[in-house]
Amino acid sequence: MIGSWLANIASLLLVPFLLAGVILRVKSLWSGRKGPPLLQPAYDLLRLLRKSPVYSVTTTPVFRIAPWVFLTTALGSAAIVPLVGSDPLVSFSFDFVWFAYVWTLGRVAMVLAALDTGSAFEGMGSARELTFATLLEPVLFLVGAALCLRSGTHSLYPALVFDAGGAVLLRICAVLALFIMLQVETARMPVDDPSTHLELTMVHEVMVLDHSGPDLAAIGFGSMLKLFAGTALIATLCNPWAGQGTLLAAAVQLALSLLVAVSLGTVEALVARLKLRLVPEYISVALGLGGVALLLGAWGAAAGP
Amino acid sequence: MDSSVSSAFLLSLPVLVVGAAIAVALRSNRASAAVSLVTQAVAAVLVLGGVWPCLRGGKALQLVWPWPPPIGTITFRVDALGAFFLAWSLPMTFLGTVYAIGYLRPYFARGRHGGPHFALLNLIAVSFVLIYSVQNALVFLLGWEIAAVAAWLLVIWDYRSQKIRFAGFNYLVSTHVGLFVLVAAFMLLHSKTSSMDFHAFGVFLERPSPTRGSLFLLLGIAFALKSAFFPFHTWLPRAHAAAPAHVSALMSGVIHKAGLFGFLRFTLLMGRPEEWMGWTVLAFGTLSALFGVLYTSTQRDLKRLLGYSSTENVGIAAMGLGLGYLGWSWEVPSLVAIGFLGGMLHIFNHAIFKCLSFYAAGAVYRATHTVDMERLGGLAKRLPLSAGAFLVGGLAGSALPPFNGLVSEFIIYSGLLSGSADSPEGNLTLVGAAAVLALVGAISALSIARAFGLVFLGNPRDPSVEVGEEAPPSMLLPIFCHAALALWFGLAPAFGIELVRPVLEQFPIGSQAGQVLAPVDSLAWASRCLAGSLLLVGLLRWWQGRAARRSVTWGCGYTAVSPRMQYTGSSFSEQMARIFDAFTPALRRERIATEIFPQSPGQLATHHADAVELRIFEVLGRAEALVTRASQRIPAHPRFAFAAGLLTLLLIGVLALGVRP
Repeated sequence: MIGSWLANIASLLLVPFLLAGVILRVKSLWSGRKGPPLLQPAYDLLRLLRKSPVYSVTTTPVFRIAPWVFLTTALGSAAIVPLVGSDPLVSFSFDFVWFAYVWTLGRVAMVLAALDTGSAFEGMGSARELTFATLLEPVLFLVGAALCLRSGTHSLYPALVFDAGGAVLLRICAVLALFIMLQVETARMPVDDPSTHLELTMVHEVMVLDHSGPDLAAIGFGSMLKLFAGTALIATLCNPWAGQGTLLAAAVQLALSLLVAVSLGTVEALVARLKLRLVPEYISVALGLGGVALLLGAWGAAAGP
Repeated sequence: MDSSVSSAFLLSLPVLVVGAAIAVALRSNRASAAVSLVTQAVAAVLVLGGVWPCLRGGKALQLVWPWPPPIGTITFRVDALGAFFLAWSLPMTFLGTVYAIGYLRPYFARGRHGGPHFALLNLIAVSFVLIYSVQNALVFLLGWEIAAVAAWLLVIWDYRSQKIRFAGFNYLVSTHVGLFVLVAAFMLLHSKTSSMDFHAFGVFLERPSPTRGSLFLLLGIAFALKSAFFPFHTWLPRAHAAAPAHVSALMSGVIHKAGLFGFLRFTLLMGRPEEWMGWTVLAFGTLSALFGVLYTSTQRDLKRLLGYSSTENVGIAAMGLGLGYLGWSWEVPSLVAIGFLGGMLHIFNHAIFKCLSFYAAGAVYRATHTVDMERLGGLAKRLPLSAGAFLVGGLAGSALPPFNGLVSEFIIYSGLLSGSADSPEGNLTLVGAAAVLALVGAISALSIARAFGLVFLGNPRDPSVEVGEEAPPSMLLPIFCHAALALWFGLAPAFGIELVRPVLEQFPIGSQAGQVLAPVDSLAWASRCLAGSLLLVGLLRWWQGRAARRSVTWGCGYTAVSPRMQYTGSSFSEQMARIFDAFTPALRRERIATEIFPQSPGQLATHHADAVELRIFEVLGRAEALVTRASQRIPAHPRFAFAAGLLTLLLIGVLALGVRP
């Protein structure tokens, strides 16, 4: 019990940087560059933490508090995800509802901070962010409910590890739907380009233009935590040894998480970003996959394991 | 129960009526307000004292009052359901009256007499005592009508404006359409039972009969109109935008809950429902939630937005009730418990946070004389307390942790996602409803972030709007009470559940209802931890950031930034509205310059109309034109007259034959 707690907390402090670093490295390799060190995101955060923030005269305390609300909610959602493929920090019935609403709280905090600056660009980014997130919201419920119906349980972790390695079709649909969700939520191509320099085309990045110093570090770490939570969901679904609590399960989990990061980086390096008008259609693919997963889950539960 | 307690409870009626009479008669506004407040407080204490045993799970209070015909005997009976509604309706009306004193002060300063207004607020309280306790259909209708007319008169406080009179008239007509349907249902019941007593109605309704279904639909429509369910909601945003803030708050949060009360009352009388009834309630609830929230995302009037949000929230509550219906018809006790608990708790939670939001919007109106989001901005610096209150109300309304809205929605989710339907198709449909609820929650978060961000954050958008002072203490007191309740029932949901439990025990919830509620306990702990950490980081960053360096907002290289360049409300929701454009039709009025060197400035105005209202008038208009054209042709072409006559005969024949078997 204590071992799994420690493993979860240790992974929370280390793996997010590694995943972000891997994505950066993969993108660099695809474009023929050597790329930064794997832990470069961690060095960036340390550098930001040493700086002092500057606030716009337009802003209110909302702007100063929001980044830390975002970070807290990211931690709050990561707590229920089986980060190392075994018991999560917390698990209770219908915890995936909590997961979704906590993410929404963090998003609302970021949007309010963006609107607090009075900048047109930040307003634009926050409108896009909320619109996409709105369409995406049902995906997690569809996938979660599909897994719950199939397994006859009510919380995320047992539903994820139930019949590990079985129900392949359901798992494929769920993984693909979650992958798209992850791309949208963590501002990845083809939905959003995290490294663009044109404010007009940004979604997520434009909302944090005015944050600086430790606040920016909090946002950066929060985003990486969300990335980690999402990859851990996918990795647990794919991990045939998930739920056993062994070292092997944790190793496979880490490898699979890194694999998800590699795929994110690869897609990002090879695919052009979608027109903004097409993003809702891309999200509807995830909705469709979630719907198929739900059908498979209900049907599978009725047919018996 | 001894009769002294029950008569003490009914004593609140004369107290309130006498208070109303004195309030009208008094010259001084201050004295009228004081009389109204004192009588309402006395009535609230009498009622709470009377119904307290019922709230603790005791026996129902009953009092029979002989009365000359045509009424016969009037039975007053406060059971757990009535006690639950009475317990918060009267105190909340009291808080609304406190709010009215501060909100109406500018009117009083200009010499307006407030006596009738306070008297009407007393009458609203009278209607609650009648509706929630009486067992006689005629007296029930009397209470219903008192509430409707009093609310109408309260709405048209600013009756000099034609727009407000129209909104009031619209409300009056709609509520009376609902009344007709309710009267029809009661007449039907009377014809079957030759009694006006609810108990007799219940005896009839419990038996399966062909009229049971139609009565369910009639009553459902009447109560849905009262609570502004989609598609019967069109009067609501108008009325809420026109009324003074405390009236909007009371209407949305408290008065219109009478519709849901009526629905629950007849559910209890009716006994075990049929399955299709459950699906109907669930479908109506889901549609109301979805359409209500879609309209919130495009509004530019803050109070209209909150009005549509009422439709959304009664929809969510009805989803819970529908779930309870389904559980009852499938005989799954855990679903019955979860469904009715979630629904009723949401009714209560909505009353808390919706009043809060309206009160904060009222503070904005009082300070700026507008609630048009496109003209406001940066109010958080001028009205920090109202800003905080609006944020709390909004977050609770979007069911975000750690506030009370999440608790009831979580309970409803736990029923929808529990997989305890009796067939895979049933489970699929319930999960589909949960997915719609997720969408509703996310759109609601968008609307609230948009409303709060535009009104309170950034820079003022319109320099012609003068910002007055922060709300006076009489407005802040109700605001703080409601904000504290929203937080309290989010962190300690057990208290809310305890309030509903005696009502739940009237439904067939079996014995394991306690254990299906266990997830709420875990949720409460999660919320408490989150709230604690948020408080900690919030205070820390607020403290640390006070001395930080200041600069201007980064203009992305552009240096001549002006407040007019901020993102507007319509641009914020443009993408969202485009995705759902079938339901949020945009009306554009534009004059865009076409020449190369335009001589006059162009202009563009967009406005999102209510699709239901628009389509109803479209359809009505088209049908009217069709009938007019057809009837004009009849005298000119005898064969048209012949065809019309033949058609009528055929219709009558088909009806006669169709009714026979």
